[in-house]
Amino acid sequence: MSPQTFLLPDVGEGLTEAEIVQWRVAPGDTVAVNDVLVEIETAKSLVELPSPFSGAVGELLAAEGETVNVGAPIITIVPSTQGTDAAAGPDVVGQSEHGEPADPEGGSVLVGYGSAGHVQSRRRKPAVTAHERVEASVGVVAKPPIRKLARDLAVDLAAVVPSGAAGEVTREDVVRHASQASVFRNIETPAWPGVREETIPVAASPAPPAATAPRPAPEVAEEREESIPVRGVRKATATAMTSSAYSAPHVTVWTDVDATRTMELVRRLKTSPDFADVKVSPLLIMARAVIWAVRRTPMVNAAWIDTENGAEIRVRHYVNLGIAAATPRGLLVPNIKDAQDLSLRELARALERLTLTAREGRSTVADQHGGTVTITNIGVFGMDAGTPIINPGEAGIVALGTIRQKPWVVDGEVRPRYVTTVAGSFDHRVVDGDGMSRFIADVASILEEPALLLD
Amino acid sequence: MSTANASAGSATAPTSGIESLPFSRALNAGLRRALADNDRVLLMGEDIGPLGGVFRVTEGLQAEFGANRVLDTPLAESGIVGTAIGLAMAGFRPVCEIQFDGFVFPAFDQITSQLAKITNRHEGALRFPVVIRIPYGGHIGAVEHHQESPEAYFTHTPGLRVVSPSTPNDAYWMIQDSIASDDPVIFLEPKSRYWPKGDVDTTARALPLHASRLVRRGTDVTLVGHGAMVATLLQAAALAESEGTSCEVIDLRSLSPVDYGPILDSVRRTGRMVYAQEAPGFTSLGSEISATVMERAFYALEAPVLRVSGYDTPFPPAKLEGKYLPDADRILEAVDRALAY
Amino acid sequence: MTPTENSVRPVSTVADSAVVRVLAADGTLAPTPAAERYLEVVDALTDAEVEGLYRDMVIIRAFDRQATNLQRQGQLALWPPSLGQEAAQVGSARAARPQDHVFPSYREHVVARIRGVDPIDIIRVMRGLTHGGWDPTDPRNGNTHIYTLVLGSQTLHATGLGMGLVFDGRCGTGDLERDEAVIVYYGDGASSQGDVHEAMVFAASYRTPQVFFLQNNQWAISVPVATQSRSPLYKRGEGYGMPSIPVDGNDVLASYAVTKVALDEARAGDGPRAIEALTYRMGAHTTSDDPTKYRTSDEEESWARRDPIARMSAFLRAKGAGDEFFADVEAEAEAVAEDARVRTTQLGDIPTDVMFDHVYSDPHPLIVEQKAAFTAYESSFEEGAS
Repeated sequence: MSPQTFLLPDVGEGLTEAEIVQWRVAPGDTVAVNDVLVEIETAKSLVELPSPFSGAVGELLAAEGETVNVGAPIITIVPSTQGTDAAAGPDVVGQSEHGEPADPEGGSVLVGYGSAGHVQSRRRKPAVTAHERVEASVGVVAKPPIRKLARDLAVDLAAVVPSGAAGEVTREDVVRHASQASVFRNIETPAWPGVREETIPVAASPAPPAATAPRPAPEVAEEREESIPVRGVRKATATAMTSSAYSAPHVTVWTDVDATRTMELVRRLKTSPDFADVKVSPLLIMARAVIWAVRRTPMVNAAWIDTENGAEIRVRHYVNLGIAAATPRGLLVPNIKDAQDLSLRELARALERLTLTAREGRSTVADQHGGTVTITNIGVFGMDAGTPIINPGEAGIVALGTIRQKPWVVDGEVRPRYVTTVAGSFDHRVVDGDGMSRFIADVASILEEPALLLD
Repeated sequence: MSTANASAGSATAPTSGIESLPFSRALNAGLRRALADNDRVLLMGEDIGPLGGVFRVTEGLQAEFGANRVLDTPLAESGIVGTAIGLAMAGFRPVCEIQFDGFVFPAFDQITSQLAKITNRHEGALRFPVVIRIPYGGHIGAVEHHQESPEAYFTHTPGLRVVSPSTPNDAYWMIQDSIASDDPVIFLEPKSRYWPKGDVDTTARALPLHASRLVRRGTDVTLVGHGAMVATLLQAAALAESEGTSCEVIDLRSLSPVDYGPILDSVRRTGRMVYAQEAPGFTSLGSEISATVMERAFYALEAPVLRVSGYDTPFPPAKLEGKYLPDADRILEAVDRALAY
Repeated sequence: MTPTENSVRPVSTVADSAVVRVLAADGTLAPTPAAERYLEVVDALTDAEVEGLYRDMVIIRAFDRQATNLQRQGQLALWPPSLGQEAAQVGSARAARPQDHVFPSYREHVVARIRGVDPIDIIRVMRGLTHGGWDPTDPRNGNTHIYTLVLGSQTLHATGLGMGLVFDGRCGTGDLERDEAVIVYYGDGASSQGDVHEAMVFAASYRTPQVFFLQNNQWAISVPVATQSRSPLYKRGEGYGMPSIPVDGNDVLASYAVTKVALDEARAGDGPRAIEALTYRMGAHTTSDDPTKYRTSDEEESWARRDPIARMSAFLRAKGAGDEFFADVEAEAEAVAEDARVRTTQLGDIPTDVMFDHVYSDPHPLIVEQKAAFTAYESSFEEGAS
């Protein structure tokens, strides 16, 4: 028969230890249930402990004078061979350390908590499950600090695409939206009088595209010269620029146009429920205008291809509309595939997606491949016009300049109107002077009268 | 059996449809109906017999139902609640009256150590359908101990249900529903509302006992409160309207358990909430409700939930109670703060 | 530490001329003058009933000793011993009729047993498995209410129930077999509580069929009864307008007779009564207590000489009870104690979510929510709910 162990119990509601004062039995003695085994002294009193077992005393596990923790074993008793006791209880009785059941299978005592409190270690938990979708409230799901941030950055929370696990707008969403707005919104496009349009604060220092200023000049010139290795996107861009500039004879033409009606249209679209969840800007109208104008001057949407059999001009009957984008990685030109098939709303969505993707540096090679004509928005830098370099593999690139109020003659009177410059560079091997002028004039016409798009 | 005296100029039960009654008369009618519907119901308290209670809530009831159903007890609050527990053990449904809020404390041990725990202690073997009616709150120019708002002590005690009607119609129905509940109910009667009248529809119960109620629709801020404060909230909402702010008002009705549904629905629409209460604010019912609303409506909140409460001082002498108790001005100040976020 | 020199022994002692006693401490029949009116009731007891009273006391003392041992063996958190108070409890419990209602405090183990409660249910309370232990409405439990740990609170509950009996006409008809009465137990310490005073006020006012049974065991933990009262405790009842009798609580025959008469008078409609049973808490207040810190062994020994079981044993021997009888009683007592010990060690755990189940009688949304959250939380650990 295996010996049974008696653990020191908590005899006084929360005691943690006791001193062995006097053993009343010795190893080998025969004891019956309830016979006094030992006298102990606790913080409260002297107590005699009666035996829970009958049999022969095995070992005394604590010495007289020793202080023992509640739950520590103090004596073993070898049960008698008689049957009555064997059925009576489990092998270990008394207070075990840290309050665990003395014998989990025996279902014995758990009284009091022992010396060290009863929390051993943290029970193990599986990983926290995914967020539940936040109950859709009317309006935007965003935590208070994010709401404040949005207010501080003058971002319309309703316009932000939320990326939070529970469907909420995150801090990153707000920041991205704010900086995107400062790049792809024409900073000189003021609010139409009477329209409650949010004002975009001029970003402290709008980051110019990497192509023109790789990084800010050091504040203190440590050395007289600095060497920057040319690698990666910079290298690719330089190669592309060089090959384009020195293979295609570039000619740039431009015109000024009264874009007031475009501004009106943009305002109306912004407040339209159909365009409530999508970005609307003059760039959108310009994009549509380019697609429309390309239909009328297809040669702009072509490319000079050198083959073994000689050169050919490949005219594309689809428009993969490239948008020059300044991204963290440098200047990229991702394009919107088959832009000619998109409705105005779809085009707006595509522009928005392309923009976000580019800003996050996630534009893929496929995104940048296969462009047929490109728009570059230099208006964000406050420029009226420029001489953009054609994207390799294409024959034309259109520059949208800043839109600002200037004096204009309307019906014989000088009036302030929203005026902009539309410029374009063309590969003169592919597009002749007549073509490029007509093309730019067409684009400008749309900006002047967007209703022409109905044609 | 009712006697001829019962109808001689004293309270008579409304016979049908909608009647305009003061809160105390509505309670009287509700108690009468409960006594008539179930002969195990009995009322017990000080001065509730011939006097009809210091607020006349039990007027005429002893004459109609007898001294074995409507008991004038000795002046001992612990005794009232303790013997009510024993009467519940004998199968009765006692409705105790504590004469004033400030006098509930001698009975506090029997309420919290006994009544609140005794169902649990018996592991459900016995039920304790005891109602304790307590007039509470200020605004009647009373002396010390007669204007307390002790609701937090009871809402904090598991095992009790706590309710507070704000209108005569709610008083009529909620007293009956409290008596019908098999659980102990602390029934808080806003004494400043005893005499103003309101419509009572005795034919149809509008809401369950533990439901909260939207009493005024609005769009900008949700105002929530209980008991006497509901009328103040409506007043504040009316004033806010004239200033161009649209407030929604919710009457809590049940203090424990709280029906959060209408509150959360409202806050998800307005994004702002103010809780108003006469009770001292520190560790109050309003604090609990604010924390829960902030947790459950976090993403809808444009501003933190604000509380307007009594100051954390003993209730002042009556001359100062106008300064102590939240009024429309203080509520509107909180509304302005909420809107400024 | 010695008892304070300033403690004035109360006037009420077992020597008080008003005390009802039938059996002297040495077991001889020596009725006091106050006992005269109760002798008829004592004489009406059969020999078997008298032997039964002795048996009840011996059995519970064995059980009580075993329960104390169980605490010392780590099986119980606590045990409040009834050692020394057997006669007051057995006598009064046997005096009650089956239809009566019993309100114990927390030391009336033999009262509960006599009324039908399984002693293991008392053990379950002391082991931390339940606050209640048994169902007072279960006929097997003889209308015995559960223990109340807040001192004196049960006196008000008992009075309230008594009021209910009056209102329902369940007493005062004159039919002893049907009229119901209430007996409520409390101690000298509890007698200072306001609730006891209010209970007597209400009982007298509504003329409840009730007996207030005060066991003056001389000590409220470490505070002597002299601190609770400067006047004999039985005299208080008179102040409320109820007959009040002191009885030698270590005399089971006197305890029986006085209680029987009091209960029958009360149930007949004559209003409440109070009894002060003078006895002694021979053990500690509970297993956490140490009486050596506040009372003398001289005092304990003087009361040991008045032991209720010893005097009854002497009385029965003088009446002709033989060794066989005493051995039989001893054996039964040991069997009851051993049975309790074994069953205690076999007591299992309670389901952890039981804490939510009886907070309210009617469904409650917060409880439903919290129980669900608790269950989900407990199941979320890799090793499952513990």
